[in-house]
Amino acid sequence: MSVGQLVTSSPKAVPAYSAVTRRRSRNPRAPYLFLLPFFAINLVFFLYPLIYATVLAFYQTNGPARRAYVGWGNFAFILRDPDFHKALWNTTIFAIFSIGLQLPLSLGLAMLLNSKNDKFKSLFRLAIFAPNLVGQVFVGIMFSILFMPRYGLFNRGLQSLIGWGLEEQWLGDPKLVMPAIIIAAMWMYVGFNMIYFLAALQNVDQSLVEAATIDGAGPTSIFWNVTVPAIAPVATFVVVTSTIGSYQLFELPYNLLQNNGAGYGPSNSGMTIVGYLYQNAFANGDLGTGAAVGWVLTFIILIISIIQIRIAGKVGSET
Amino acid sequence: MRFPYGPAPLAILLIALLSGAGLLIWTPISRPEDYHPPDLVLATFVPEQAEVYRAALPRFEQQYHCTVQVQLVDQKALQSRLQSALQVGASVPDMVELMYGTVGFFAKGPLEDVSLVDLTQKIKDSGLYDRLVTNRLSKWSSRGHVFALPHDVHPVMLVYRRDLVEQYGIDVSKLTTWDEFSRAGRQLVKETMRPDGVPEHYMIDLDSDGNDHLILLLLQHGVGLFDASGNVTFDREAALDVVCWYVKQMEGPGRISFPCGEGQNFGKAMIDGLCLFYFCPDWRSNVIQQEIPSLSGKLSLMPLPAWEPGGIRTSTWGGCGLAFTNQCRNFDLAWKLAMYLYYDPDQLGPRFVSTHILPPLKSAWTHPEFHEPSAFYSGLSLGTVYSQLAPEVPEEHDTAYNTFANGKLSEAFSDISIYYKQHGDSGLRDYARSALKRCADRVRVVMNRNVFLKPQVAQASDPINP
Repeated sequence: MSVGQLVTSSPKAVPAYSAVTRRRSRNPRAPYLFLLPFFAINLVFFLYPLIYATVLAFYQTNGPARRAYVGWGNFAFILRDPDFHKALWNTTIFAIFSIGLQLPLSLGLAMLLNSKNDKFKSLFRLAIFAPNLVGQVFVGIMFSILFMPRYGLFNRGLQSLIGWGLEEQWLGDPKLVMPAIIIAAMWMYVGFNMIYFLAALQNVDQSLVEAATIDGAGPTSIFWNVTVPAIAPVATFVVVTSTIGSYQLFELPYNLLQNNGAGYGPSNSGMTIVGYLYQNAFANGDLGTGAAVGWVLTFIILIISIIQIRIAGKVGSET
Repeated sequence: MRFPYGPAPLAILLIALLSGAGLLIWTPISRPEDYHPPDLVLATFVPEQAEVYRAALPRFEQQYHCTVQVQLVDQKALQSRLQSALQVGASVPDMVELMYGTVGFFAKGPLEDVSLVDLTQKIKDSGLYDRLVTNRLSKWSSRGHVFALPHDVHPVMLVYRRDLVEQYGIDVSKLTTWDEFSRAGRQLVKETMRPDGVPEHYMIDLDSDGNDHLILLLLQHGVGLFDASGNVTFDREAALDVVCWYVKQMEGPGRISFPCGEGQNFGKAMIDGLCLFYFCPDWRSNVIQQEIPSLSGKLSLMPLPAWEPGGIRTSTWGGCGLAFTNQCRNFDLAWKLAMYLYYDPDQLGPRFVSTHILPPLKSAWTHPEFHEPSAFYSGLSLGTVYSQLAPEVPEEHDTAYNTFANGKLSEAFSDISIYYKQHGDSGLRDYARSALKRCADRVRVVMNRNVFLKPQVAQASDPINP
């Protein structure tokens, strides 16, 4: 249907539009009044905290009561702090592995569920998505029990399957802490990302798939040359949001490791950037350094997101 | 009449109006005429203690013609929100029970900024100083000033599976030092080794993260995270003995320990007898009795082995203290309430029976309830054994950097464990010394950043809410 058809096929549209225009002219302030609550809430809960956090980043605070100006001192401290380097490294490793493992797995599951002959499609979709509904706190506590040496279901399962792992200390061995966090996150988020991919796959133009099949293209060729370009915008969205989510990771390792009484894990092997922020702002009581960490994190996420969007744009234009 | 903006905005408006009207109707805007605010409000994070206090309050209220409200608040909320509320002058309870390790958090800045009442002089004037286990006051002090009254002593013993210990012929009376304990443990692990290389039993439950268990052993050997002046101390030579001993029990050919964790895993390990010995402060003896009734008659307690012959046979783990906020409306009445709830000998006996928590008031320990034998613990009198050890409980000092220092100690411990796993005993002590120093120095760097502990800067700083 063309734009011309739309205009001519709805003759009542013009009087309706005129009526609205008349009403607007009678109440010119009405739209602003409707927008006022949104702007008021944003001003109080977004803009003011944003400005205040910017100011606070240049102060050292003793709780909310007292502050002393330290200039760029907080930023200099953070950038030189080995704990921040550790947190940045841990978070980056988590982001790389969780995206590298989660997204292909999500896409694979979405493709399986997108197959037409599956009678239990809805059931599987719900089952795979369901872990995302329970929240990171619950997942953290649950996996801290599953990863328990000797008694944990995960350890017992590994022992039964491959004869290894009964006494492994997933949350007590610095080498195993990050894999444990990635496994827990994978269980939680694979289903969530799968829903995006499933929606994208269901919108792939089937006439293109049929045309490619008639032209003799195989499943692999169709996947790379038809499906991937079609879902590329969604894939970019999922990668960017997953990266941002990964860099904001906090509740999962906090509950997984604190519940075990292990702080952020042996050698801080489970400390993330937001965990580092929390430690400075709330455990050490210095909200200024916490605010500075928040800004550094914002900057990191911004840079990575821009790079990802640029790369995705370039790849999209090439395909 | 038609709503000019259509049905959807009308529906939203109606919902908003109805919600507002509902709130107006069901929210009491004014108090009833006969309502009187309580004379005192006490906040605690321990549900069991809130129950005990509520039951005891009517007598106090009758005696002093007052009303007292006990509020139960989540511990983390109590700490962070109370600190914020205190500092900005918002409404706070008159009295608060604090968890161990938090008093330093409240006393982080200059002393004049601390929003808890300094009780040092009051404790001395009232004669409490001589009547309490004085080492216990260190836990509630900052820079020589006491900010809370100790609720407990929490001496630590070892609870053991008496049936299994007897079965394997272990004589607990000979386990007087940790070295002897290790020897017996190695023998046990060897005897119970299964064909798959995993022992049926370990000797002791030791955390693998270098936190609670390591710290209580450090305290037993006279080393805390901090000293009384707030200096970092966990890199002292004495700490090396403990850390090096600890990693050898966790890793390698001399391994005798297993990390049993908390909660249901701990319970399962005890029931299975996975470990024969477990650290047991007084409060834990009650938790075990309540949550694992099937072990009745199979458990007993012994003092901790010492670090050297004739050394201290206990340590401390956990604690709770009562602080008075500087907004306390009636300090004299609050003090009387504190004496009534914490140090009234008539209440402490029955309370010990239900909680097993040994109060720091030494005169209370003579009450008969403290010496009743416990069938659950094979006829042992818990009050007797814990009170015998209580005077030896080591001092423990807090700062605002407890959590951070804990993390750094854990980091050093973890690095030392890895080193031991890879290199064995060779060079272990030197490596441990450098790892502990590196981590302790990091805590010192972070603490030295605190401009509020430097007097001239603290004076020049800007009070946000003057």
